[in-house]
Amino acid sequence: MTTYLSLMLLIPLFGGVLNALVGRNLPRRLAESLACAAVWGSFVCAVLAALAYHGPEKVVVAQWFQAFDLALPLSLYLDPLSLSLCLMICFVCGLIHLYSVFYMAAEADYARFFALLNLFVFAMLSLVLAENLVLLYLGWEGVGFCSYLLIGFWYTEKENADAGRKAFITTRIGDTALMVALAWLFQLFGTLSITQLNGMGFLLPAGIVTALGLLMLAGAIGKSAQLPLMVWLPDAMAGPTPVSAMIHAATMVTAGVYLLARMYPLIGSSTVTTSAIAIVGGLTAFYGASCALAQRDLKRVLAFSTISQIGYMMLGVGAGAITAATFHLLVHAFFKALLFLGAGCVITAMHHEQDIFRMGGLRRTLPITFWCFLAGAACLAGLPLTGGFFSKDSILTALWMKGTALTQALYFLGLLTALITAFYSFRMVYLVFFGSNAHQQGHHEQSDVLPMELVLIPLALLGLFGGVLDLPGYLGGGFLGSFLGPLSGAHPVEASHTEELALQGVAATLALAGVFAAHVRYGGAARDNRLQESLLKPAPLVAFLLNGWYFDALYRALLIRPYQALSRVLWQQVDEGVINGGIDRLADGVGSTGSWLGRWTTGQVAVYLLSFAAGGALLLGYLAWRSL
Amino acid sequence: MSIPLFHVLILAGILFAMGLACTIAWRANVIMMLIGIEIMLNAVMLTLVGGSAQWGSADGQIFSLMLMALTSSEVSLALAMVVYLHRRKQSVDTDDFTSMKG
Repeated sequence: MTTYLSLMLLIPLFGGVLNALVGRNLPRRLAESLACAAVWGSFVCAVLAALAYHGPEKVVVAQWFQAFDLALPLSLYLDPLSLSLCLMICFVCGLIHLYSVFYMAAEADYARFFALLNLFVFAMLSLVLAENLVLLYLGWEGVGFCSYLLIGFWYTEKENADAGRKAFITTRIGDTALMVALAWLFQLFGTLSITQLNGMGFLLPAGIVTALGLLMLAGAIGKSAQLPLMVWLPDAMAGPTPVSAMIHAATMVTAGVYLLARMYPLIGSSTVTTSAIAIVGGLTAFYGASCALAQRDLKRVLAFSTISQIGYMMLGVGAGAITAATFHLLVHAFFKALLFLGAGCVITAMHHEQDIFRMGGLRRTLPITFWCFLAGAACLAGLPLTGGFFSKDSILTALWMKGTALTQALYFLGLLTALITAFYSFRMVYLVFFGSNAHQQGHHEQSDVLPMELVLIPLALLGLFGGVLDLPGYLGGGFLGSFLGPLSGAHPVEASHTEELALQGVAATLALAGVFAAHVRYGGAARDNRLQESLLKPAPLVAFLLNGWYFDALYRALLIRPYQALSRVLWQQVDEGVINGGIDRLADGVGSTGSWLGRWTTGQVAVYLLSFAAGGALLLGYLAWRSL
Repeated sequence: MSIPLFHVLILAGILFAMGLACTIAWRANVIMMLIGIEIMLNAVMLTLVGGSAQWGSADGQIFSLMLMALTSSEVSLALAMVVYLHRRKQSVDTDDFTSMKG
């Protein structure tokens, strides 16, 4: 087991380092195959580990720090949660690596790209496998760092570099909170081993558990782009599309959910924390879905839907339904990666046009992409019997069954969000693939996009049939539920089959209603009317949603402007005025004193002699006065 | 009979003050300034000899002899420089030589 786990981590690390060091000098095909082989090698290790898996296992790879009472072994922990995530990460990342080979075929700087992708996989796997919170934190920062570099991959354009910085700085706010939580835990327990900490939660007073939970929630909020730190994710779409699919949809942004799920036995005992998690998740789900309604940029629609879907996962964690949250995390990774990769095919075919109002008719030119994208959109919308339907519904069911006023209110918010989600998913499908478009440019040859389209197929199958991972009780119960069962701290109330069917019926009706509304508004002839409308100035509400509730403007006014003003004062008044001016004036004073004293040296011997004599007289006088 | 040290010191003090006054005041003539310096040196030697007589030790006298040798060499050097300066500016007034002005 040690071999499998350490190889799973080391292969991508090796691939990344090799590509970073000598990738430029390797033939292009070799560098690309190296990167892909590294991730698939990791996947093989993950599969072998899964086959050899018997029960939760802790593996110490090496001793790292051992000074005074700080012991930080490089230890890995394989349990159902990390195992299922590892399999998903290796598989999705492997497919995205293959996709990138074709997507980035015209990119000159392929070595840097693949090195960063591989390093990202390494960091993500160490984040997931870590048994030690410091190791987890290292992975946490590692993925953030790779994400920063990959968002700004085309750094010669200022907006891309700015988007990278924005992502890094915004997530840093959450990271700081997580760091504080880590230091506090160490101070309390003298250990940072996750398994030990999770078993010691009951020793702490409730207030401290709440505070720790809220700090970790803040970390998760930053990483998973939840309210109020979600502003970075839409801008992160400046990176290449495979990066958006891999980092900003499937893996990294779900790290926050993973952290909360992992630490749930410790923090879950505090009602305040779980309520806060649920509220943040519910509000974010609604926020993301509402913003996605008005976006014009294909990738930004998907970014806001990612924010919204992660909100659902947070809702699941807040309701204590770790299994449901993990289930949704896995299925979401498949269908959201699928949607992003499909978007990448569309964007390539449209020659880097990203405005959905200028697309159309692609269902004929890109049939494979169309069907796969449709499958992804169906999962996102939660159409019955897709994977997304089961996973989203298990979260909503858990919320309803928890039975407090708060969770039931959030349940209705979740239902409303599901309706909006179905609407915007199919708005996107109708605008991109249906109708005919006057703006059509000459498309790429089919063969250019074809290899990329092939990657979509396995993801589409997984998204559509992901539901079998965790079927509801009336269909014989889920594999994931019994697999993940032992680790979830709280045992959610089981719904009876009738209740579950009723709740799923409600969700299914809403999803279908959303699709129907989208059909009425964007299908057929109505589509052309919408295209006409899109040329006009947007209505205030649409502009409000298009700009993400003006959160960027709010932060600009509340934080950035005052900070810039303060910086300007510090720069012009304090630094240039006080410090520079002070030093200048001191130097001027010394200089003028010097030249004033310099007038003494007249060059006349007599003056020197007189001064000498006066000095001698003074000395003598002093000595005489002393000896009195 | 012996002269008390106190008297010797008074004489030396007067000599030194006069020499200093000469050096400072007579700046129009560099030779007179040199003479003032010589007078001050003589006052020093007088003090040394007086001390030597008072405590019956030969050190002061030996030192005076060395000072005489030193003074003679100094004077010969200084006079040579005076001749040189006079050649340059046809003057022995020290205020004419201000090339050291800062």
